[in-house]
Amino acid sequence: MRPEDEHYFERLESGLDEALGVAETARGMGGDPTPEVEIPVAKDMADRVENILGIEGVADRVRELEGQMSREEAALELAEDFAEGRVGDYETQAGTIEGAVRTAVALLTEGVVAAPIEGIDRVELADNPDGTQFVRVFYAGPIRSAGGTAQALSVLVADYTRALLGLGAYEAREEEVERYAEEIDLYDSETGLQYSPKDEETKFIAENCPVMLDGEATGQEEVSGFRDLERVGTNNPRGGMCLVLAEGIAQKAPKIERYTAELDEVDWPWLDDLIAGTIGEDEGHDEPAGSESAEPAGDGTDESEAEEVEDEPTGPVRPDAAGKYLRDLIAGRPVFGHPSRPGGFRLRYGRSRNNGFATAGVHPATMHLVDDFLATGTQLKTERPGKAAGVVPVDSIEGPTVRLANGEVRRIDDPEDALECRNGVEAILDLGEYLVNYGEFVENNHPLAPASYTYEWWIQEFEATGADVRALRDSPRVDLGEPSPSEAIEWATEYDAPLHPQYTYCWHDISVEAFESLAEAVVAGEYVEGMLALEPLPEVRETLEDLLVPHSQAGDALRIPNSAALVRSLGIDEGLERTWESLSTAAHEWPNAMKAAREVAPFSLRERAPTRIGGRMGRPEKSEKRELSPAVHTLFPIGEAGGSQRDVSEAADHDHEGTRGAVPVQVGRRECVDCDTRTYETRCPDCGSLTEPRYECPDCEIEVEPDESGRAECPRCEGEATPTEWRVVNIRDEYESALREVGERENAFDILKGVKGLTSELKTPEPMEKGVLRAKHGVSAFKDGTIRYDMTDLPVTSVKPAELDVSVEQFRELGYHEDMQGDPLRHDDQLVELRVQDVVLSDGAAEHLLKTADFVDDLLTQYYGLDPFYGFDDRDDLVGELVFGMAPHTSAAVVGRVIGFTSAAVGYAHPYFHASKRRNCDGDEDCVMLLMDGLLNFSKAYLPDKRGGRMDAPLVMSSRIDPSEIDDEAHNMDVVDSYPKEFYEATLEMADPGAVDIEIAEANVGTDEEYTGFRHTTETSNLALGPALSAYKTLGSMTDKMDAQLELARKLRAVDETDVAERIIEYHFLPDLIGNLRAFSRQKTRCLDCGTKYRRMPLSGECRECGGRVNLTVHEGSVKKYIGTATRVAEEYDCRDYTKQRLEVLEMTLESVFENDKNKQSGIADFM
Amino acid sequence: MPRSSSVRVVTALASHGYNAEREAVTLIAGASDPETAIERAVDAAPDDALTLTADHARTAIDATDRAPVFDESSPPETSTIDPDNPSVSTGTRDSPDEAETPSPVETKGSTDGIGAETAAGRSNDPERRSLAVTGDITGRSTGTGTYEDFVRTFRDRYEQLSGMLRSRVNHRPTDAVDAMAGGSDAAIVGMISDIRSTANGHWLVELEDTTGTFPCLIMKDRDLASVVDELLLDEVVAVEGTLAGDGGILFVDDLHFPDVPRNHRPSTADRHVRAALISDVHVGSQEFARDRWSAFADWLHTEAAAEIEYLLIAGDMVEGVGVYPNQDEELDIVDIYDQYERFSEYLKEVPGDMEVLMIPGNHDAVRLAEPQPGFTEELRSIMTAHDARISGNPSMVTVEGVKILMYHGVSLDEVIAELPEAKASYEEPHKPMYQLLKKRHVAPQYGGHIRISPEERDYLVMDEIPDVFHTGHVHKLGYGKYHDVLALNSGCWQEQTSFQRSVNIDPDVGYAPVVDLDTLDLTIQKF
Repeated sequence: MRPEDEHYFERLESGLDEALGVAETARGMGGDPTPEVEIPVAKDMADRVENILGIEGVADRVRELEGQMSREEAALELAEDFAEGRVGDYETQAGTIEGAVRTAVALLTEGVVAAPIEGIDRVELADNPDGTQFVRVFYAGPIRSAGGTAQALSVLVADYTRALLGLGAYEAREEEVERYAEEIDLYDSETGLQYSPKDEETKFIAENCPVMLDGEATGQEEVSGFRDLERVGTNNPRGGMCLVLAEGIAQKAPKIERYTAELDEVDWPWLDDLIAGTIGEDEGHDEPAGSESAEPAGDGTDESEAEEVEDEPTGPVRPDAAGKYLRDLIAGRPVFGHPSRPGGFRLRYGRSRNNGFATAGVHPATMHLVDDFLATGTQLKTERPGKAAGVVPVDSIEGPTVRLANGEVRRIDDPEDALECRNGVEAILDLGEYLVNYGEFVENNHPLAPASYTYEWWIQEFEATGADVRALRDSPRVDLGEPSPSEAIEWATEYDAPLHPQYTYCWHDISVEAFESLAEAVVAGEYVEGMLALEPLPEVRETLEDLLVPHSQAGDALRIPNSAALVRSLGIDEGLERTWESLSTAAHEWPNAMKAAREVAPFSLRERAPTRIGGRMGRPEKSEKRELSPAVHTLFPIGEAGGSQRDVSEAADHDHEGTRGAVPVQVGRRECVDCDTRTYETRCPDCGSLTEPRYECPDCEIEVEPDESGRAECPRCEGEATPTEWRVVNIRDEYESALREVGERENAFDILKGVKGLTSELKTPEPMEKGVLRAKHGVSAFKDGTIRYDMTDLPVTSVKPAELDVSVEQFRELGYHEDMQGDPLRHDDQLVELRVQDVVLSDGAAEHLLKTADFVDDLLTQYYGLDPFYGFDDRDDLVGELVFGMAPHTSAAVVGRVIGFTSAAVGYAHPYFHASKRRNCDGDEDCVMLLMDGLLNFSKAYLPDKRGGRMDAPLVMSSRIDPSEIDDEAHNMDVVDSYPKEFYEATLEMADPGAVDIEIAEANVGTDEEYTGFRHTTETSNLALGPALSAYKTLGSMTDKMDAQLELARKLRAVDETDVAERIIEYHFLPDLIGNLRAFSRQKTRCLDCGTKYRRMPLSGECRECGGRVNLTVHEGSVKKYIGTATRVAEEYDCRDYTKQRLEVLEMTLESVFENDKNKQSGIADFM
Repeated sequence: MPRSSSVRVVTALASHGYNAEREAVTLIAGASDPETAIERAVDAAPDDALTLTADHARTAIDATDRAPVFDESSPPETSTIDPDNPSVSTGTRDSPDEAETPSPVETKGSTDGIGAETAAGRSNDPERRSLAVTGDITGRSTGTGTYEDFVRTFRDRYEQLSGMLRSRVNHRPTDAVDAMAGGSDAAIVGMISDIRSTANGHWLVELEDTTGTFPCLIMKDRDLASVVDELLLDEVVAVEGTLAGDGGILFVDDLHFPDVPRNHRPSTADRHVRAALISDVHVGSQEFARDRWSAFADWLHTEAAAEIEYLLIAGDMVEGVGVYPNQDEELDIVDIYDQYERFSEYLKEVPGDMEVLMIPGNHDAVRLAEPQPGFTEELRSIMTAHDARISGNPSMVTVEGVKILMYHGVSLDEVIAELPEAKASYEEPHKPMYQLLKKRHVAPQYGGHIRISPEERDYLVMDEIPDVFHTGHVHKLGYGKYHDVLALNSGCWQEQTSFQRSVNIDPDVGYAPVVDLDTLDLTIQKF
């Protein structure tokens, strides 16, 4: 580690220590469930693993093994330790296996995600017919967050431990095998799997897997075929099991095979068959969807193999069009391009500083021209290389090409221009370039798709010709990036370099016939005012549009400025004389005009934009405070007394058996250790000593001591003793005392919202004082007592103080002294390399954290009686403060430092920071919390006592990021400032990304340079360009969004609007209509007065609880909502009869259900 | 009781509390269905009798043996099937060799004789026919989907079904029971609003009437506990028992279903005339069994089928559109109107002088919510073949005096899912039908599979006892007698679909069950 890095981390840690000191003092006052801060600091992964699991001795062993072997090997080594009793202390073999499996998953997920605690329910042993025992591992839904590899390896570890313990293998019965197949299909259709194995594959795995994969029931639908099996405890799909089998074993077989091969005790020879993909092959038509990463890889190899076989290729090298991203199209989220269609995004290789790690650079002018549907951080579901990408603005790439209403076709490279001419745009002929970095292809194991011809490639080719490029570069009269046509022609003819990309047109997007007729038209044309004037024939105009040749229409002619290179490319000389008679057979037979142009042009030509990438909008970007619904200020239970708003002051006026403010609620039953006073508070209200939970049998009312595992069984009736009780709490007293305690009056806030009931195991209420202060500052609590703000994750590796709204002085105070070039930092527009734990907040996040800081200060002074910690005046004060970053489905927070702000509705941070939370940036979002808020207010005592309750809670925090302990996806980002010529050439062959030598971040991991050296190839002027918010969020109703989406589909050349309309109806409207209709005819009802729900309408008609009015929960309006719109769209966009008829049948159904046959509405004809 | 001996008869009678004359025992043991005979005999015996006489036995046996004999004309040998305990419906007929069996003589004859329709001599007299429909929702759907409509529907269900139970118990409204002293005997007629097990494994059944609800406890160790398996939410039952000490709960001693009375006697036609009861044609599906259908239609033209004057179809005329996702990929005919047009063409293959009646099913282009009205005018104008009559689902069709309740059968899925396999399974689809007869409702449980469209009354109640109960939907053939009501689930005319293959359902394709309306004897013809 470099000294400056060491210094940086020490600075973070001393800040953390200071805050921890204050928080420990505050918590020590006894106003919280525990007198300590409940988020332990983990210095490294080993600490996190041990902290999350709570198994002693794991951390030391992990550290021992870490230097010697890979993490996967360490997991297996630990399994041995467990089996031989060196780690963990278990009474049963099942417990031992469980410990080993959990540890393996924790290790493989870097101790960050909740999967090891929440995703594995338990391990049990069961008897085989031959007297041996086999292992059943019960998985639960949250195993999803472990990812396929860890899921699959958990099975391997279970098997390995089993073998070491001498237990038998599981032999699936025939009906169980069938059940697996049915269940996985059901789960796939209900919930969806990333990889859907063929039935044969599932059965093959089920037959061979030596451990029984089992799990908790998830989902409502039941299997219909193989029900009530003796050894399967449920008829519902077992979600965790389905994930492990499909996305784990089936999808990641090659990865597991690597480890089984090395283990003597474990023998999984059947994996070979699975990997070979021969299982169920004969049923060829039922092709599995395939993992996104594996599928295109396969396609690529097929294609290049095909090439080798034939001497003469019959068409250009292209990746296959893949339309999977168009599935489940949603109304209001537009399609930007159908798969690989001309006019869509043009693939350009490179990395800008806000690019990489599952993001894609789009020109801000494009963002505006797609009617603002794309903004910084908007998710794009995409054709390749991955499944999805976060959109980042990059303004040094080429913008979109449009046709305006006056017939002019031009490229727009300036966002201002885009806004000015937007209303006049008739068609978007091309979406512009789409910047993807090389590392993305590495990460997705996707063959390199042919590169667009761009300046950075051309210049390398030009340099290689022997031209004096240096002289040209130095010449004030020459702009190598934007030469004149004559310069371009001169360089291309004089030297042996291909024509400059500026004048290279999309010859591959037009037909040979179009090429020939354009040549004819040009020969018949003339020069007017220096521009080539052509007769405005529709086919000529269309060809020019397809080629992306800028032109205008004046009078009765198409006028093309700077036409010399175009004319020459058509094999026509300056005098507009054709230099060729006819094209060769080869040129004619080629599927596009590329060969023709190459044949007749006096210079060599490269394909301008061979790879087009289809995409559609996924999630919109996000920057919003996280609120429970309804929002909660205090985790104090008030039952129904607070009304639907859960208003504490309303509950304080609630009348219960004559007592004002008395409300029966379920709270913890606690007893003072000193004076035996009974209370629900964690401190004795009488003597101030600690209280402890008291377990009682609800029937026998006798006290029970829970055993080690936390189970408390009544010795008399064997029922379960509980630590909670129903108790009448006087909310009025609580409320008034809380106000008094913190010295606030009721008019300090509009409303104080509590919760209906507590969901935690011990049902410990939060002190209401905290809620009073939260309400005062307009912030609300999450289920664990913390205040959170969500933002879409985006990566950035270098920043300018100016774009972050901070001064260069502030940056220097933060420890930034040099810019990217190593020059001293003096100006606020110098680019500096970002440190790994520094984060940029969105404006909204900054505002919310300021409120949180004010709340924390009040809390410290008015509740704990200490000095304020923050004392902020404005948001500049936030710079340098520490926050927690924390992702859903994980249990570890990462400490970060605020360094500035952005107007984009996203959270920019170093890719390593996101990776340490196990996020990538393909549209994922997660939250920040203010450090002191987390330390003071988080308590495990508030966490829900249910599956997944410990997810999304900071059970541990990482104080510093170790690049070798983060999700290695981040290591695949390239860190160079240019790609070599050989790389571009390799893309034309669709080479494997591994075959190309470009430095990726991985190279520096484990070295002194691991925190630095993140260079980029492509500039962008600002992190927040383009619209501030996606139109998806600014447009009002769903119909408005959808109309805008279809309108855009009409404008985009790369989009087939009928297909879009068809898909919207198919995937959005029809499911909505059908679902609501089904819901209507089997709905529950609800009392309007007291909220009681009934499965069926009461025979009395009125509420059985309160006599109030009962009403439907699904109304006619919500059922019929979309039928009109759907029918209109089907007509307007000329959908298939099948679709129209489905709507007709539904409309008839709606009429039949909601209209009285004997009282039909008269048609208008009756009144004419 | 396939091999009953006198000893077993005596034991059985003793368990009912009767001694028996020796002759009576012999008579019963020799009856074709001793088990039913015993029950009948017990019913027939006067309340004060202690000893069952030969006369009682004779009356009982006559009644039992009047029950129809099930014939199977393919293969031609007639086999008698115990009506209350049929062999697994498809077991024998569906054996692999079956495919090799040459088609029955009659069928052969007809193949030769195509075009000789008139020669086959369908010389029946239309004047003597009668076909009337009641309980048809078509054109009478007055519900507008309001809360009140739902309440009205369920109240009507309660009124109709409780009416069948009231005379059997000395019941009180739940609010009156609530006010009764602890320890007293009480009875309630109520709609089941909740069933759950208690911590100790007993069953708590909550019964609801228009005055409120009352919890009823069925103890796990009582014989009665097994009845809980059969209960469905929202059916109406009567219970008798004792109130707990604090009066807050009723300990159930006895539970009654509306049921079909044991002494129910079916009506029959007064001439020898037959009706073919089929279902699930699924025209438009790639799997539509067109050859089997044509063979069936051809056979109807033959002498052997001359007495079949009625054809009743219990829904799913066509495969439909949008019934499940991506259905268009498995459709032979994608256009829904073309599907009906083609169906109409296929219907024309059957003799023109047959009376045809059909109700819709869940694949048809009508609302899915039950009761389903018959087809719209537009579809009717397409299906003009043979002036077929179209009615709603369900409908009670009286054919020459025989009441045939036609219901498509979507609720069978739910009954099969909810009840234990012994009481309801896809292999024996008539068994869930027995349950529906017992509950006197074609689709009791609300909120699950079944979709309800509320109407001014509950059209799904079996207010009248049918003589024949005809359903389809599950694509399995099954039949049997429940309290002398013939329950029949027709198979289908659609070969196994990929979906059925994936969930392990092997449909019974191409069976035409034919009922003799004068005897209610059933013949199954396989194509």
